[in-house]
Amino acid sequence: MPKTEIKEHIVMRNRDIENIRDLDVYLANGGYAMAKQALTSMTPAAIIDEVKKSGLRGRGGAGFPTGVKWSFVPKELNPKYLVVNADESEPGTFNNHEIIDENPHQLLEGIVISAFAIGANVAYIYIRGEFAYGARFLEQKIAEARERGLIGKNLFGSGYDVEIYVHRGAGAYICGEETALLESLEGKIGQPRLKPPFPAVAGLYAKPTVVNNVETLTNVPRIIEKGADWFRSFGTEKSPGTKAVSISGHVKNPGNYEIPLGITIREFIFDWAGGMRDPNLPLKFIIPGGASSNWLTEEHLDLPMTWDDMAAAGTMLGSGAMVVLDTSVPVVRAALKVDEFFKHESCGKCSPCREGTHFLVKVWERIDEGHGRVGDIELLADVGKQMLGKCFCPLGDSSVSAVNSAIKFFRPELDAAIDAQH
Amino acid sequence: MPDMVTLTIDGQTVSVPKGTLVVEAARQVENLIPVFCYHPKMAPVGMCRMCVVKVGTPKMDPATRQPVVDADGKSVIAMMPRLQTACTTPVSEGMVVVTQDSEVEHAQRGVLEALLTSHPLDCPVCDKGGECPLQNLTMGWGPGKTRFDYNDKVHFEKPVPLGDLIYLDRERCILCARCVRFQDEIAGDPVLGFYNRGRAWHIISQSDPEFDSKFSGNTTDICPVGALTSADFRFKARVWELQPIPTVCNHCSVGCNMTFDTRSNDIKRVMPRENDAVNEIWLCDRGRFGHHFNTSKQRLTTPLVRKAGKLQEATWEEALSIVAQQLDGIRSTTGGKAIGGLAGTSLANEDLYAFQRFFRETLGSANIDHRSGSALDLPLDDAGAQYGIRSGTDLSTLGKGTVVLVFGADPEEEAPVHLLRIRGINTRGGSVITLNGRPTKLDSIAKHALRYKYGSESAILAALLKPLLDSTPADGKRATLRGFNDLVAALKGFNLDEQASGISADKLNTVAELINSAENLVIFYGRDALTAGASVPAGLANLLVMTRKAGATNSGLISLLKGANARGALDLGVRPDRGPNYAALSNAGLDAKQMLSAAREGKLKALYVAGVDPVGDNPAAAESLKKLGLLVVQELFLTETAKLADVVLPVLSVAEREGTYTNAERRVQRFRQAIRPTINARPDWQILQALANQLVSEAVLSAAGGDKSRKQTRREEDKARVRSEWTYASPAEILMDIQANVAGYKGVSYASLQGPTGQWGRQANENYYFDGTSYQNTGGLGVQLPAAVETSSIQTLQPFSVSTPASVADRPWTLVGATFLYDDGALLTDTDLLNNRKAKAVVALNPVDADKLGVKNGERVTVSSGRGSLSLPVHRTKLAPEGVVVVPVGVNNVGLVSVVEGGATPVAIRREA
Ligand SMILES: Cc1cc2nc3c(=O)[nH]c(=O)nc-3n(C[C@H](O)[C@H](O)[C@H](O)COP(=O)(O)O)c2cc1C
Ligand code: SF4
Ligand code: SF4
Ligand code: SF4
Ligand code: FES
Repeated sequence: MPKTEIKEHIVMRNRDIENIRDLDVYLANGGYAMAKQALTSMTPAAIIDEVKKSGLRGRGGAGFPTGVKWSFVPKELNPKYLVVNADESEPGTFNNHEIIDENPHQLLEGIVISAFAIGANVAYIYIRGEFAYGARFLEQKIAEARERGLIGKNLFGSGYDVEIYVHRGAGAYICGEETALLESLEGKIGQPRLKPPFPAVAGLYAKPTVVNNVETLTNVPRIIEKGADWFRSFGTEKSPGTKAVSISGHVKNPGNYEIPLGITIREFIFDWAGGMRDPNLPLKFIIPGGASSNWLTEEHLDLPMTWDDMAAAGTMLGSGAMVVLDTSVPVVRAALKVDEFFKHESCGKCSPCREGTHFLVKVWERIDEGHGRVGDIELLADVGKQMLGKCFCPLGDSSVSAVNSAIKFFRPELDAAIDAQH
Repeated sequence: MPDMVTLTIDGQTVSVPKGTLVVEAARQVENLIPVFCYHPKMAPVGMCRMCVVKVGTPKMDPATRQPVVDADGKSVIAMMPRLQTACTTPVSEGMVVVTQDSEVEHAQRGVLEALLTSHPLDCPVCDKGGECPLQNLTMGWGPGKTRFDYNDKVHFEKPVPLGDLIYLDRERCILCARCVRFQDEIAGDPVLGFYNRGRAWHIISQSDPEFDSKFSGNTTDICPVGALTSADFRFKARVWELQPIPTVCNHCSVGCNMTFDTRSNDIKRVMPRENDAVNEIWLCDRGRFGHHFNTSKQRLTTPLVRKAGKLQEATWEEALSIVAQQLDGIRSTTGGKAIGGLAGTSLANEDLYAFQRFFRETLGSANIDHRSGSALDLPLDDAGAQYGIRSGTDLSTLGKGTVVLVFGADPEEEAPVHLLRIRGINTRGGSVITLNGRPTKLDSIAKHALRYKYGSESAILAALLKPLLDSTPADGKRATLRGFNDLVAALKGFNLDEQASGISADKLNTVAELINSAENLVIFYGRDALTAGASVPAGLANLLVMTRKAGATNSGLISLLKGANARGALDLGVRPDRGPNYAALSNAGLDAKQMLSAAREGKLKALYVAGVDPVGDNPAAAESLKKLGLLVVQELFLTETAKLADVVLPVLSVAEREGTYTNAERRVQRFRQAIRPTINARPDWQILQALANQLVSEAVLSAAGGDKSRKQTRREEDKARVRSEWTYASPAEILMDIQANVAGYKGVSYASLQGPTGQWGRQANENYYFDGTSYQNTGGLGVQLPAAVETSSIQTLQPFSVSTPASVADRPWTLVGATFLYDDGALLTDTDLLNNRKAKAVVALNPVDADKLGVKNGERVTVSSGRGSLSLPVHRTKLAPEGVVVVPVGVNNVGLVSVVEGGATPVAIRREA
């Protein structure tokens, strides 16, 4: 099957237009015209409606329909906030990064339109602490746009104000989770909040707040410009549009790709990313949607990359970070690395995750170091069961993905790792 | 009746009010869902994950929005795919909950095992051992064995102090955040927090000084493990060896229910006893840690009699007969009017009643008071009883629809647990208004936090009353209000001087509206209000009358008097102007101030002082007392007054005897004997009874001398005065006398005080993990007395007038004496733990004012009024508003008493060279 061609990039337009990061280039390519149109000639309801019609789903991981999320915001409660999730900390994910560095104005324009749509006058970009350059860069871009009257007070004479502030995180993966992000933004310790209330009703400073991913919002100006039908010409019925996907691991051409949703994993790995790096080392398994996702193997290569197909296969599209691993990778080591990450990032709020991640790592570690004990696999499975679905937030549950995947697909290898020691 | 929801828990059907959490619903069917982080008094957080259960709801047909039914007509239940935390899940109609099955137990076992991995298991040396939810829940729900390696436990430095009072053992902490949430939500002192993350996550204090809160001890009760322990109780005893004796705190007018936990005849700790209507399950740190006076080595241990100018040990017989003879002598020569008596507000009702009987009946003297005669005495407060909070009011149930007005009071310092209760009303949707002369902690939650200028209190009240008056219809309504026309006359032509009062008329109109539209109106007033003139309590009472809340359900005044039993003293007539139950007297006696001047002038021959320290309160009183023929002091300690006494009679403390107190909400509550006295002291009432009986006995009469016929008439007179010989065998019998003779106390007996004990319908032992180690109340909830207004059909407006203080040109500042919780009072004797927190002998001065005067922190100023002056170092703080200087009451060596004139006093301030 030939590689599906993408007509044009929706979010990574930097791939189509050189230097679109410069305001002049962006303006020359119709930049901020949609913000102007939205603020001067559209009602917020009309914008929300168009976004709903487009079927745009959140790119931050859960794939929740964006227009629907916006319509949950109660009209009568003010002020409202728009918060842009630029925390991008899922291992293997680096597509938001590219948008920020290379196509920042489209993101900012998306923020202006979306803020107007939900009735927010203030938007915060919560950016991963390590993206120091990106944060400064965005601030500079905001300043440029503000100078030209594209961000700030009384935009385009509409009487509507939108201020955008950049806030750097302090290096915690959990702060990508929207409620932990809001806590952190409020200056508190970054830990998830109990839901309900959901942020749409009581978010930042207990005010109605929409949290959206960078990529999600970067789609918005193009949807307004070209309409929902155009947007739906990409992707599938239930997963319309494109997705910026980061692929890494043992592929020839790792990097970011903007794919139309619905192509198969096989096409993505072999046609887009150039296939396996070493012809002698075949594919062993795939971590398809960030470290949190359940693994896939060769048998799943024909799975279409959509939210629903991935979910049906027991995993997820997640943040759009695919890690492809060949047979050089010992399963125990891979699982250990994944769980070390979750252990390191566990916020500590709930007991099963705080202690469970620590425990999983201890057991993986001893197997990896050659001190595995008989019954350790059952132990991992049992502790995993006690964690899965019992943690306060998805982070703790995520740490069980590696356990369950490794046991599901590589039980003999695990048993062998332990038997070798006895 | 609130909307009820019916659900099934483990096959049992329960109906509970809408909004109830599954975890609470399960308690009603006695199926306990184990919890760690959940606490009934705080918002759920769902952190520990201990309470996970299976939950299902009726499956709904999306088209018809009706439940889907099966062939038997039963709702089809859709079980949720994951277990749910019972502490965060509200019930819903038709819900099905499974709390006990293998899946649930497996998950709960996992949580417990997880918690135990980081737990040091040092139960043998842990203060919590024996009443530890972690121990109990491990026994009930935990794994028998752990699969974790022992050396993988987290390690932290063993206990680190969180301030002076509390130690934190981070290894034992299970990170439930109960302590942090208590401080944030209930105490309103957000001084605890978390630091770091993951397994390194731990509790820290984020205030300076550390753990800066008057409620810190409560965190040790609700901590579900031994991570927080009190410096007072650490390593003092194993809890199962303690005997908890129900008692009532005698440090302030809240009257918190608590226990003295004793072992080997020693008080090891103080714990709260649940009483939702008083303290819920809380204590302030003064109440909790301030028990050491009971067992202080400084206590008086035996009677003392002055011989050759020195106080020397004596037997009770000797001491009592000296007192009896001398009193009899004075009585027979000059009559009772030459004898005065002071009985303090720490005395039990039984003592106070006996005291006034002793004076009025035995000695024939009306000179009695419960104050010390100093310039800092509070005026007699009757409004708090006449218009007191309606009986049956439980502040812990009030919320939406309730307005709390705090006028001239700082509950945090004057009656700390009331602060928690006011905050609770606010949390439940009520509104708080603070009207004060200076900032208080409640301002932060107040809907209106208004600051008046001292001296304008009555004008503020006039401004609140006026719109209420104007809106009262002219018809019959006015006629039902006695005194309406007088009030109209008093307010005629009144216009608020906004400049002088510091608050705009508009603002006060808004407040008046809020008050008027409230369903319930609770008014707290304290020292500032009480010392601002009679029109202030009267004006507050009038607010109740004008808003139709006088005597109404859940409404009324709460007067924050100083002392645990000030209300009892007022009720029982330990005052010169009124008898028990506020009965009018034809001839008023001398009050404390008048007694001191009478003594100075030689008119008063004898003074009998019980639990009051006139000289401690005002050193100048010594001059008066030295003129007396007889000074008798009945006391716990050798006070400054006792040092001057002719006879000192040692009394038993609250822990060594039994009795009752009446709190600010006029709840009569019983305390019991917790420890056996080891000293030669007696309860106050017994001493009074012994004297009363001696004073009518033959022996005294004959010893009094004089001719036989005179003796005979005297004897007849005395017999007539004394109803009979006193034969009280116990305080319970005195209370029976009180209930028979004091109308307000009708029906109150030790039996009725025992009262209903069930609270929250809990099962044995479950309190450990639900509310912490506070004790279930088995000692009785007490009885709340009705306010006078509840029983009268006509409502009377109190005489009220607006006064405007004349400004004194050369004294432009206002001096205010403020009550602080931690003072130099005798009840904090030997509670050294609190020393660092005691109010300092300083003048609090606003930084702006301090700059004007050019004084830095610690530099001395002289503050002078028309009466005298004091010299103290300055503490620059915004807690003193501009133009106001605040000096603590009850702190040694401040000299406040020789400067103040009633309440807020105009003063001059001079920087000392
Ligand atoms: C542990 C955890 C980490 C997350 N990290 C991110 C992140 O880095 N960036 C992001 O956009 N969403 C992240 N999410 C998802 C957010 O909670 C949230 O769903 C998202 O920002 C919503 O935006 P969207 O609707 O535009 O996708 C994370 C979720 C969890 C549970
Ligand atoms: S699951 Fe982990 S990250 Fe999430 S709240 Fe619990 S401890 Fe924190
Ligand atoms: S110290 Fe106690 S109350 Fe506070 S978080 Fe730890 S276990 Fe909970
Ligand atoms: S609030 Fe008052 S009664 Fe209660 S514990 Fe504190 S001092 Fe005692
Ligand atoms: S999560 Fe429910 S009790 Fe802790």
